[in-house]
Amino acid sequence: MPKPLSILYYLVHPQQLRSIIQWKVWHNPVHERDESKEGPALKQCFFFLDMTSRSFAAVIKELHPELLVPVALFYLILRGLDTVEDDMTIPIEKKEPILRKFDQILEKDGWTFTENGPNEKDRPLLVEFNVVIEEFKKIKPAYQVIIKDITKRMGNGMADYCNNREHNINGVNTIKDYELYCHYVAGLVGEGLTRLFVEGGLANEALLERPELMESMGQFLQQVNIIRDIKEDLDDKRRFWPREIWSKHVDKFEDLFKPEHKQAALNTSSEMILLALTRADDCLYYLAGLKEQSVFNFCAIPQSMAIATLDACFQNYDIFKKNVKITKGDACQLMMESSQNLRLVCDIFRRYTRRIHQKSNPHDPNFLKISIQCGKIEQFIESIFPSQPKPVAPEDVDHEAVALAKRQADAERSDLIWMGAAVAFTLVVITASMFFIAWFMGARFDLAYADVKQQLSWLLGFSNSTSTIAPSGHSEL
Amino acid sequence: MPSTKVLITGGTGFLGTELLRLLTTQTSHSITALDLNPPPPGTQVFPNVQYIRCNVLDSSALQATFASLKPDAVIHTVGLYYVGDNRYSMKKGDAMFEVNVEGTSNVVSAAKEAGVRVFVHTSSFAVLVDELGVDFRNADEEWSVGKARLAYGMSKVLEAEKIVLAANSPTFRTCALRSAAIFGPGDPVVIPTIHNLIARGETPFVLGSGTNLVEFVHVTNVAHAHLLALSNLLSSGTAAGEAFYITNGEPVASRAFCLAIWKHFGHVPPFSVSIPKSLAWWAGWAAEWAAWLTGKESSLSRGLIMDGSAERYMNIGKARKVLGYEVLVGLEDGLRDACEYYKKQLEGRKVDKTR
Repeated sequence: MPKPLSILYYLVHPQQLRSIIQWKVWHNPVHERDESKEGPALKQCFFFLDMTSRSFAAVIKELHPELLVPVALFYLILRGLDTVEDDMTIPIEKKEPILRKFDQILEKDGWTFTENGPNEKDRPLLVEFNVVIEEFKKIKPAYQVIIKDITKRMGNGMADYCNNREHNINGVNTIKDYELYCHYVAGLVGEGLTRLFVEGGLANEALLERPELMESMGQFLQQVNIIRDIKEDLDDKRRFWPREIWSKHVDKFEDLFKPEHKQAALNTSSEMILLALTRADDCLYYLAGLKEQSVFNFCAIPQSMAIATLDACFQNYDIFKKNVKITKGDACQLMMESSQNLRLVCDIFRRYTRRIHQKSNPHDPNFLKISIQCGKIEQFIESIFPSQPKPVAPEDVDHEAVALAKRQADAERSDLIWMGAAVAFTLVVITASMFFIAWFMGARFDLAYADVKQQLSWLLGFSNSTSTIAPSGHSEL
Repeated sequence: MPSTKVLITGGTGFLGTELLRLLTTQTSHSITALDLNPPPPGTQVFPNVQYIRCNVLDSSALQATFASLKPDAVIHTVGLYYVGDNRYSMKKGDAMFEVNVEGTSNVVSAAKEAGVRVFVHTSSFAVLVDELGVDFRNADEEWSVGKARLAYGMSKVLEAEKIVLAANSPTFRTCALRSAAIFGPGDPVVIPTIHNLIARGETPFVLGSGTNLVEFVHVTNVAHAHLLALSNLLSSGTAAGEAFYITNGEPVASRAFCLAIWKHFGHVPPFSVSIPKSLAWWAGWAAEWAAWLTGKESSLSRGLIMDGSAERYMNIGKARKVLGYEVLVGLEDGLRDACEYYKKQLEGRKVDKTR
């Protein structure tokens, strides 16, 4: 049952409701998962996927059958790793070897982990991790190699961070550290997925030769999450915004949340958003290298959500007070537009880039830098989808093409004239036959005509003889 | 090996001075600066540069100078084009602009006669974007130039460029650099024009949406491009007969560019009012009439409005690829330096006045 408040909201925002309905009614998955062919272990894996993932489960389940299971397992394995890293109730001595050897765990039949704290919400996944291992062993060896490699590198990266006491107390120091952290938790995912796509023949191999593109895909999503979750992370005693950025605006990290430093906090957030925006054009470039529709949707939807989230966070002081989200209607709209082609995704990026630019505050120290970055994104989009054809000199014009275009235009015009004539003719015939039938059934057009005439003269205020007689006629009725 | 002799026309101008600075510090060429005027007060004078006063319209004096100097290379920066108010009201027969065509033609023939091997010509991206009211997004050198409605002065810039490129031959290599509007320390046009709007109280008014992207170029970057073109023509010659767009490669919204400049002078408009393009066009029309009636210069004109609200940005891939061009001074740093310089200039003027 929807809440009364949300009913009220959608009454005032019908566009939002329309987007939600359209998405629910018209969205056809590119591929649908065939549950009848799945064994109990795989079914359990998909149950965990729904349980642990907020936004990814839906797009994963629509993936091409070739990659559906490998990507789902890849997600669950990384989620398992993350659940060990995140849990502050596990002592570091116990945590570190598990993180560093997680790739070897994937070989151990029946391995499970029951030492997560009772409050860890993804605890059940590790308690029954044997099902993930069982299914992992069934996928193609080439996929296993890729997943293991990424798991190993991510596990080591996470272990390094857990070991780094300074990180736990003061958060991240430099922008370089910040990007390195994002590399371990997201850039590597970008690499792993890209290798899986290419291995499965669903993406252009050239993507592997431009590693900065897949890195940016992960960095963009992760940085946006870190920006949006600033308050939530503070409450969990974690800090990811690098000191190198916030120290330019406030003396102490906690000051960001004090009302007297509101402007400084906003300036800090826009510098963080600027840093994330520098990745946007790489992301669009990457999407151009995907060949298959379901893989495109899988990659494009989160990116569109991310740029919209950046817009929602930009110059919005609420991020320091609560978790800022895009509306459900906007999310549905974005999903619809992002599951078609690159051009529409570019339109989304341009739309939100302009919105961000529009909100930019001239007092902000990064005002010009933000404008330059927004301009860069717009120029990049223009370079892949030019909005106007290259005007060529008259002597370069292909005369045959011009003549052909003229002939086509002429043909179109005569088509239009004939179409109009046919429509007019049909209307005349239908009207005439309706009048004829009406007359046949006994309609009195003479009376109707007199009546109309009289009404008109009343309206226009003529006082001729017919109008003076007419009332008496009515009184007889 | 004797050093290459380079002659720069317009050598005491804004761009010319910066070129001399780069040439004297980065190359071992022997350099002559030719100009109608001696270096203006306040600009740097370089001890190892030979300064010669000569008018490019005086062809016999020009020939004599070239014959005695026998330069190997010429960088031709002389050319008149306004970016400010006058640009849109150019009447035919404005003799000043003959400098572009006649001057260029004189320099080219004098250079050829004197056995000059390479010739770098400063052109303007206005050869393309001066088609008023039309958007140019990510334009490159393949876009055809010289379409209708060029302001008169600009048509002369284009004509001059054509003379230079037509003269290209294996023994006389030429190329043209189409620069965006140049800013930098001592810039006579861009910063002062935009700064002036503060005193006029016009900063709150935004033409159209103000989101149209525009481009500029820092003087060091243009000068750097000239040096690259010079060494290209002296060596491989892949740039011979070609034109290149030279910008800072950082398109920004026109409104943001102005706001960034005003901010350096401590001014942020207290509010902003967007004037729709069509309304602005009539406002420009009215302002032109008012200016004509009162005889005072107006900062508004239809040309400015059509120009100020259109998209103007380039794809500089060709310059990057062929010349190896890269941006040395970014927009943000460049604007800060230029504004600081202008601030000092203004303070200097104030001191002069109080005396």
